[in-house]
Amino acid sequence: MGLLALYIIVVAILIGYQMENLIAHFLPGKDTVEVFNGMILYFFAIDFLVRLQMQELPTLAVVPYLHLNIPRSKLVNFLNIRALFSAFNIIPLLVFFPFCILIISDDYGTFACIMYLLVIFSLMIFNNYAALYFKRISAGNAKIVLAGFFLLVTLGLLEYFKVLSIAILSNSVFHYIALQPAFGLVIIILAVAMFMINAQYLNNNLYIEELKSSTHKKTGTDYPFLNRFGEAGTLVALEIKLILRNKRPRATVSKGLIFLFYGILLYKKDVIDNNQFWMLLFPAIFMTGNMIILYGQFMFGWQGAEFDGMLANKTNIRTFFRAKFLLLTISSTLLTIITSLYGLMSWKILAVQFAAYFYNIGIGTVIVLYFATRNFKYIDLKKGASFNWQGVGATSMIMSIPLLLSPYVIYIPLTAIGNPYWGLAGIAILGIAGFFTRELWLTFLVKEFNKRKYTIAEGFREQS
Amino acid sequence: MILEINNLKKTYADRTVVNIEYLSVNEGETIGVVGNNGAGKTTLFRMLLDLIRPDAGEILSKQQNVAGNDQWKNYTASYLDEGFLIDYLTPEEYFIFIGSLHQMTETDVKSYLHQYEEFFNGEILDNGKYIRDFSKGNQNKVGIAAALMQQPELLILDEPFANLDPTTQIRLKTHLKSLTGSHKLTTLISSHDLNHVTDVCSRIILFEKGKIIKDLHTDKNTLNELETYFSG
Repeated sequence: MGLLALYIIVVAILIGYQMENLIAHFLPGKDTVEVFNGMILYFFAIDFLVRLQMQELPTLAVVPYLHLNIPRSKLVNFLNIRALFSAFNIIPLLVFFPFCILIISDDYGTFACIMYLLVIFSLMIFNNYAALYFKRISAGNAKIVLAGFFLLVTLGLLEYFKVLSIAILSNSVFHYIALQPAFGLVIIILAVAMFMINAQYLNNNLYIEELKSSTHKKTGTDYPFLNRFGEAGTLVALEIKLILRNKRPRATVSKGLIFLFYGILLYKKDVIDNNQFWMLLFPAIFMTGNMIILYGQFMFGWQGAEFDGMLANKTNIRTFFRAKFLLLTISSTLLTIITSLYGLMSWKILAVQFAAYFYNIGIGTVIVLYFATRNFKYIDLKKGASFNWQGVGATSMIMSIPLLLSPYVIYIPLTAIGNPYWGLAGIAILGIAGFFTRELWLTFLVKEFNKRKYTIAEGFREQS
Repeated sequence: MILEINNLKKTYADRTVVNIEYLSVNEGETIGVVGNNGAGKTTLFRMLLDLIRPDAGEILSKQQNVAGNDQWKNYTASYLDEGFLIDYLTPEEYFIFIGSLHQMTETDVKSYLHQYEEFFNGEILDNGKYIRDFSKGNQNKVGIAAALMQQPELLILDEPFANLDPTTQIRLKTHLKSLTGSHKLTTLISSHDLNHVTDVCSRIILFEKGKIIKDLHTDKNTLNELETYFSG
């Protein structure tokens, strides 16, 4: 997931530097400063909700020190400072600071600019500690997020019907700060107050049981749909539970859903009209196969902790691989169905996406599973996914090269001798061929796996 | 003869962990494997389960080499450590999964677990927790019960008494003894608790630095003999 974090940061930097042009491009004729001002509170409102869902409580970091001779206040400070090291705290700075420095200081003077920076920084601090505080005090935080979501929808509707506008509120607040920079102190004080409230709460409740997020009764689940696939279906059901019940795989897969918006950015009208499918192919493969790529790159490290049991139990390795194929195929099918909405833009997109889909299930799965037999790195499922480099190794990096380049190896020559549609057909046919020769690939993968199974099991046993 | 080991060797960085010239185990035997840390007990068990590749030698289970062969899985059940559990499942889900590998239906599993209610002491089933949230002792109970549920001919348990509370230790002992009587079960148990192994096992094998240095049939002097060795 390191790559994803890096990607988001690069995007944030680009947005930050191009803010003025972006505003001019998307909302031509509007005053850029006004739009910028209107955006800030909106951003932080959404940021707060996302934080509630995704930001990690850095509570467990303190466990090994609780019984030692270290004053409580120091531990609280440690927790509070550690909470700042989060990707959520970098993004607002990257997005908003360049515009403030480039534009606001020109229009309103240096003091106003410094105040803008301080206020945005304070809002970031406020959100950071407010989100942690709410997470700590709320038992079932899913409900709070849901409530927050409805609040946001309500605000959006109010905005739409021009009853109450966050944008206008945000704009007037920041407009006022631009004119009367001293007013920004209010927000800085709010941030400091939030920090103090959180610190006070931690100070009074520094017990592990109380700091952990709530525990509710767990029950077994069944996926009757998978029963028809026999033993492989049982293994897929296990892996779905692995994904849903553990932090890191869950975050990996749900972050993958963000990539479904790739199409909005990369499916351009002129590209579609000119049949330049090679530009659409990459986003199509990534969107319809993002689980294959993002989740598959760490296979079988996800199961590192239980791998010995898997091997010693009466599971057949062939079935084990069959289950992996099944899981990846199901995921890719679902993603393809969802992304078919892009077909509303043009039927050509559907053609590209289905070629990508067949490629993913026929060829992509084989590539990913082959590299999985060369991956010896255990993954700790309890850790978060952002900025987490555990399990990232040469294998997972190298894997993406054949995975993303091989469709072009087919597409380019076929397009050169025929036309772009030949290229797409070539990719689709190859994918379908891969799909129908799966038994051969299974045999090949099982052979590769058996060559290295002791090394894989040993690697997972090291757990570091 | 269910197990036969010939010239088995495993070395890690010049340190020999397992070095067994010959060892045979007959059907129905209950064998206690004892030895200090580093004697090679767990490594031997892992090689028996084809999790580690031996540097030399072979392990024959029913005359077939276990390495690269799945046949032994049909009649062998084991619990070595938490790595054998799937910790994000509830115990019920785990039992059903293990059962499904042996063609047991959900009802089979449930009725089987019924006889373990005393062993579980009300702490395992219907607790609304994933296995990872249980204490180590209770995780052990899940692993041991799942191994026994497979009704194996060969049972391998690594320190099954560790982390169990005294009541459960005694219950497990009684249960293991009753199993040896009822059907043809061969059991390999490693333990640091000399009282328990001499009580349960009919044969004790003592390891030191990977070598078998004593192979005894349990009688009233065995415990003394072992205690003399370990206090030396």
